[in-house]
Amino acid sequence: MTGINNTGKSRRKPVSALSRRSVLRGSAAAAGAAVSAPFLGATRAYASGHTEIVHWSWLAASDGEVWAQMIDNFNEAHADKGVQIKMELVPEEQYVTKVLAATATGRAPDFGWGTAGKGAALARDGVTVPLDDLIDEVGLDIADFSDLSVTAARYPKYDNAMFMIPMDLMSLQPEINLDHVADSGLDPNSPPATGDELIEWGKAMTRRDGDTVTRSGILMTGSGVQPTVTWGIVAEQMGFRRASDDLSMAAVNPDAGIAAMEWVLDLFDKHKVSTRDVTDRYKAFGTGNGSIFWTGPWTLNGYVGQGLNFMTSNFPNIGGELKTYFEMGGLELYKQSDEGRYKATLDAVKWISDNSFLWTTVGRGASPRKSILDRPDYKTAGHPWSVRGAFVEGMEFATIPEIPVVAGPEFTIYSGGNYLARTLEGVWARTKTPAEAMSELQARWQEGLDEG
Amino acid sequence: MATSAQTLGSGGTAEALPGERPPLEWVGYLFVALFAVPFLIFNVAPVFFGAYVAFTEWSIIGTPEWIGLGNYDDAISDEWVWVAFRNVLFYALIIVPGVTVLGLLFALFVNKSYPLSGLARTLFFAPHVVSATVIGLVWVYLLDTQYGLLNAVIGALGAPSIPWLTSSDYALVGVSMASIWWDLGLAFVLLLAALQDIPRDLIEASTVDGAGPVNRLRFIVLPHLRPVLSMVITLQMISTLRIFSQVYVMTNGGPAGSSSSPIHYIYTVAIVRNLYGYASALAIMLFLVILVATIVQRFAVREMAS
Repeated sequence: MTGINNTGKSRRKPVSALSRRSVLRGSAAAAGAAVSAPFLGATRAYASGHTEIVHWSWLAASDGEVWAQMIDNFNEAHADKGVQIKMELVPEEQYVTKVLAATATGRAPDFGWGTAGKGAALARDGVTVPLDDLIDEVGLDIADFSDLSVTAARYPKYDNAMFMIPMDLMSLQPEINLDHVADSGLDPNSPPATGDELIEWGKAMTRRDGDTVTRSGILMTGSGVQPTVTWGIVAEQMGFRRASDDLSMAAVNPDAGIAAMEWVLDLFDKHKVSTRDVTDRYKAFGTGNGSIFWTGPWTLNGYVGQGLNFMTSNFPNIGGELKTYFEMGGLELYKQSDEGRYKATLDAVKWISDNSFLWTTVGRGASPRKSILDRPDYKTAGHPWSVRGAFVEGMEFATIPEIPVVAGPEFTIYSGGNYLARTLEGVWARTKTPAEAMSELQARWQEGLDEG
Repeated sequence: MATSAQTLGSGGTAEALPGERPPLEWVGYLFVALFAVPFLIFNVAPVFFGAYVAFTEWSIIGTPEWIGLGNYDDAISDEWVWVAFRNVLFYALIIVPGVTVLGLLFALFVNKSYPLSGLARTLFFAPHVVSATVIGLVWVYLLDTQYGLLNAVIGALGAPSIPWLTSSDYALVGVSMASIWWDLGLAFVLLLAALQDIPRDLIEASTVDGAGPVNRLRFIVLPHLRPVLSMVITLQMISTLRIFSQVYVMTNGGPAGSSSSPIHYIYTVAIVRNLYGYASALAIMLFLVILVATIVQRFAVREMAS
């Protein structure tokens, strides 16, 4: 449109109200505001003598509510002390990517959740902060932590420094539907302790329509996490090791690993106590479509909350050496341009750790703190011991950790999408033999170990 | 007159006299810049940066390390890359014809006015405005082997249940069914609009001349729809080659990679394994495949037309 109107009068004046100069001036002001906004936002740290510690968490399930309560407790206790934690939720799968991107741009959160053994690359790249000196500085009593947790928080290849403050110890243990136990005439006081007993229980509780399993005695999925982690546990029980102790050799005792794959396949095809047709394992157990389901303590809030009648028992000894999956959650500090923030952050983390009774009774897992485990009310607080007990007492034999190398995520047995899981899926789908899969894993893992 | 033209020029700026170079319209450029600058920064620059990163090893932190064609070498020897590209070929073979044919049938169905035809149009288009994640979740329940609606119908007919999402033989088909349902809306609307552009008198004349419905479709309707059909096929081809959300939500690429796609694999490599150089190389490879497929398809449609 031009500035000519039908009356022949000039519309110059209104047009000149938006002159080049004024548009440029306005644009410059807007651009200036936009550019300076991030720096204005950076007052998170010290505005009016107030310290705001930024925390990223990926805990989004029912345990996330308890964690939010933990953060609220901190903020309440520090309301007049000039320190507050601001928690932001980040999807778990994108967590590392977002931490990397934030660190690269100098805007990393002060601290966040990590899983022991999975952060070697972050330690190598200086994204996570070594904590040994800071721990001394803030007076965190590291002797109060279990040896297992302190060892798991270290990366041997990176000065064996501690890169995380342990918060909870988790293991995989079987949850058993008590209604199904009663229906099948089994004794809930003698849960399966061996591989044979497990199969017996599985057969007793499985329901079929012809040849089709309609209720899995042993809950499994045809792909993803469940068969992968089951294989990982059974293989380790049978003597297989994903890496040698000195992290130099991959797939030690491959025959045991192959035998464990056969054991998992037998659940579907020989014993017929599992079906590959389950798509959502959590939902299947919650709705009574599975009888025995090995999973972690993060499920307790949900199942207890919905009123599911179940108990938890120790993982059976299937392969000869009693072991189960070990996972440790903890808090790690991320690199800051202002290193003065580290102490304030670790002070906050120390407070949270010292006050983690709620987290390890109602939230998830067992406490890594001896002083908390020794409290007389530790067994009576939170969920009933019949569902929580195995996750605490079972830590004794939860000795299958992550492999603490940069390629560690490719080794983890609790995964539905890493190289291990994808390779094993071919075995579960019968498109690959166990021996072929083992050979592929061996080659890929060796590359990972050689990488460091 | 020249003075008057200068006075009344658009934006209050002077207009050029004959033979003079026209003055620059700076305000115009400024307004264009409001779109162009962010577009260049957030769309174009990342493409060039991605092309560069594809020749490096990089995990966001630190400087990309130049490794030449190393990532492409790795891609060629990575069996999962071949699996993903093979799968997307099958996705294209199922979804593109499925969407095009069903979109055309639905458009023909509602092209005439009858009671509730307006509702039918809305229903046919509705899935397209729902997010792929929601579509994926709905179809997970529909296709569940044990409790899904589809298998309930199949069971009522006396046939055994089909493991749509849990078998490596069917997972790709299951995801394709959801994708067709989701993508159908756009093709349907485009084809319906094109159908309504066909002159009525042409249809009436062919009817008077004794042409039946099949001949009308073959000799009148389809030739008129050819440009739109070509566009629908092109858009659907590009969309299918980039399939991700449905795969991620419904099967996560499994079982055994049988339903994975290049974008899903790129996502895994980048986000789960943090190998951004390798992921960028895969993205460039996918870009080339889409480019070639689009050119070939456009050429084929043009040949058929001539």
